[in-house]
Amino acid sequence: MKKEDLLQKLRQNTKEQYDMPDINIQGLTYPDLFVQFREMTETVGGKVVSARKTDDINQLVRNLYPEAKTFASSLPYINIAQKNPDTVTDATDLNGTDVGIVEGKVGVAENGCIWIPQTMKEKAVCFISEYLVIIIDRQNLVNNMHEAYARIDMDEQYNFGTFISGPSKTADIEQALVMGAQAARGVTVIVLE
Amino acid sequence: MSTIHSQRAHEVLQDKEKVSRHDQTFWSVREKRDAMASAVPEWEQLRDLASAIKRHTITHLADYLEQFTQQLESRGVIVHWANDAQELNEMVYGILETHKVTKMVKSKSMLTEECHLNEYLIARGIDVVETDLGERILQLMHSAPAHIVMPAIHITREQVGQLFEEKDISKEQGNYDPTYLTQCARQSLRHEFMEAGAGLTGCNFGVAKTGDVVVCTNEGNADMSTSVPKLHIVTMGIEKLVPDYKSLAVFQRLLCRSATGQPTTTYTSHFRQARPGAEMHVVLLDNDRSEMMANTQHWETLKCIRCGACMNTCPVYRRSTGASYTYFIPGPIGVDLGMLHDPKRYSDNVSACSLCMSCDEVCPVELKPGSQIYDWRQSLESIGSADPMKKVMSQGMRFLFNNPSVYTSVLRFAPLANIVPDAMTRSRKLNAWSVGHTMPQFAKPSFHQWWKKQNKK
Amino acid sequence: MKIGLFIPCYVDAVYPEAGIATYKLLKHLGLEVEYPERQTCCGQPMANAGFEDMATPLARKFNDLFSPYDYVVMPSASCAAFVRNFHPRLLKGEDHVCTVPERAMDIVEFLHDVIKVKSLPGDFPHIVSVHNSCHGVREIGLSAPSERHLPPYNKIIDLLQLKQGITIRQPERPDECCGFGGMFAVEEPDVSVRMGEDKLERHIATGAEYITGADSSCLMHMQGISKRQQQPIKFIHVAQILAAGID
Repeated sequence: MKKEDLLQKLRQNTKEQYDMPDINIQGLTYPDLFVQFREMTETVGGKVVSARKTDDINQLVRNLYPEAKTFASSLPYINIAQKNPDTVTDATDLNGTDVGIVEGKVGVAENGCIWIPQTMKEKAVCFISEYLVIIIDRQNLVNNMHEAYARIDMDEQYNFGTFISGPSKTADIEQALVMGAQAARGVTVIVLE
Repeated sequence: MSTIHSQRAHEVLQDKEKVSRHDQTFWSVREKRDAMASAVPEWEQLRDLASAIKRHTITHLADYLEQFTQQLESRGVIVHWANDAQELNEMVYGILETHKVTKMVKSKSMLTEECHLNEYLIARGIDVVETDLGERILQLMHSAPAHIVMPAIHITREQVGQLFEEKDISKEQGNYDPTYLTQCARQSLRHEFMEAGAGLTGCNFGVAKTGDVVVCTNEGNADMSTSVPKLHIVTMGIEKLVPDYKSLAVFQRLLCRSATGQPTTTYTSHFRQARPGAEMHVVLLDNDRSEMMANTQHWETLKCIRCGACMNTCPVYRRSTGASYTYFIPGPIGVDLGMLHDPKRYSDNVSACSLCMSCDEVCPVELKPGSQIYDWRQSLESIGSADPMKKVMSQGMRFLFNNPSVYTSVLRFAPLANIVPDAMTRSRKLNAWSVGHTMPQFAKPSFHQWWKKQNKK
Repeated sequence: MKIGLFIPCYVDAVYPEAGIATYKLLKHLGLEVEYPERQTCCGQPMANAGFEDMATPLARKFNDLFSPYDYVVMPSASCAAFVRNFHPRLLKGEDHVCTVPERAMDIVEFLHDVIKVKSLPGDFPHIVSVHNSCHGVREIGLSAPSERHLPPYNKIIDLLQLKQGITIRQPERPDECCGFGGMFAVEEPDVSVRMGEDKLERHIATGAEYITGADSSCLMHMQGISKRQQQPIKFIHVAQILAAGID
């Protein structure tokens, strides 16, 4: 089918047109963004840990996952990673990663979502890792999705971003909630001051 | 003369316990949705906005499609325009063939079910692997989905366990624990993601201004499907657009709350272009949506964001289950979509509604699925699908009610019917009311008679 | 204020007590009430079955019959909903503007919103379970629909609370459909009955002696099922409770 034919048909078949409404919506707001964000993240099965920018993040991650052997990260300040999503030959090379470490740019208090723009060659690190650590600056917490969507952007090189809220889950078998469907079984968010 | 839906419902309802479980399961989802709605003070405002944004977008769809595809193409995404299911299937197969793909992983897409894409590809030698757990279970069982969001809701853990043992996905005989079985599926599907040559996703929302393809999942399977294989194909209905991020926020907040009673899906992923070294295609499907635009009574069905809230709240769906409907989507929206696509073929589902209008109240985009069923019912006569019995009854009533003197005479004699023993009134074919009810007693005197007597005084 | 009393067909034939109670209530409030005898039906059964056009002559008749009155009051939420919400579109082709539909009210909303009744004599020392019928809730707003984020209210309960000694309860799933749906009961008898059985069970679970509501059609449906099951629970229209103790 030709694109022009479809577009013409759509225009012809539209009987009445409606204007775009004014989207003047307040959205849920919270007295303490961090408290709400932590509460929501825990509700969806994630964990929140506070840290200072001056802390040894590498040690913190090791302590969070003492059994982990294989770490993956493209972050310049992470030195415990055996795999780097920027330099692996193929995304499949990241399979078997115990802990992936990435950065989030916006955290949403209403639902525990964190915006993670792709900044590495293989975004698989966000999904293929058994566990995911997301590092975010406390200043970057917002109330709700209206505020989040007004702020998010993407790295022009990759033009991909995802909101992640807690670990992957399913309730497809008899409505029993199970963490760890196809992606991360657990998520720890490190909120930096 | 009964509809297929009513006949199938008769069969389904023989298993009272199963129906109770099904009813309770979906009522719980409705309750979770209610909890979400109560927790958001601006809930009704969000619904009003979603409705208005969709009305605007759909009535300017050509412009937004141009903007959307221009954005995609500017970043090297290849856009295809499919007129109908056949074209979509051919296009998807064509892309796979060009890249010599033998295995394709896919995340949930109601559109692909609308087009029967899986069968088409499988028949041509492509190994199509559903990666949403519910869909994967159904695929392996060769079973049909029971619901658009929770497709395997009717399958028990024992059934899943036995299936997995049979397919060598589960190694522990008799272990039917959902956590264990989910882990087995994870291992099995992880293997599929690694081997696949292509990943296919649907699209929950297309953002016209920026060219984002937005895909929402809880499992992360759409992201696994598009982060490993080097080919990403998106199948998308043309009506799935929203103008910009400001609008998208409204829908993102409504979708999961309405669908499963969660504040958000775990993953809300935005794709604008292929990843490095990979290729991305978007196949846009019309399949009569451009025709539906012209239907002044029913074009607002195109606002649907496929959340499933209407079927969760529908007392008829909950008790008759997906198995009773003849269209692949059940519940109120299924009745409406079936009638829009092929009224003669799917008119049997129009009986599946008590006109309670609960669905109108939960629909996040206010498309009024229940009110639309009422309107479809009016059109059955002209389609030639009206039940003759209903027509005869209605004509009988019309005669009676247009002739007050006849009506009042009938009322005088109606109490005679009270004498007929209850057992004699039981005939499913002649007296459907007798299924489950004793006959009502006609009052002596009727109100008319009482009034007459009063006024003689 | 002149009231035209409309008694729906099945109330006329099966539950005239509800109509008599409605009349008594209106007279007790000192209103002038007339009952135009040539009335029959509002047209809803045909329309819900899919034959809306068959209801048009009835809508016309209704409009003519009731035009002399300030309000048309009826003991039926579903009929009030049909007249108010559907008669206007059926009467769109008429050469004069039909204003009767907007003056048509169910007895509950009339007493609550127009007369604003604040007290009623008589008692009703029984436990009742309120049946919030679909048309009452979702089409004429007798109570806040449970689906919506709205401040809760219930006009039926507000009025029932005026009776001395009454205990008012609501079933779980307070406004889920009972499954009558007019033609639905005939076209999908199995689903309709299952819905009725479930609803009845929830009403009975409240421990009530009576099930009451603004729609006799719903009550008739549940009563038919109740009788088949030989349940002791009784059925009564809201108007009858409100009129208890009034002569």
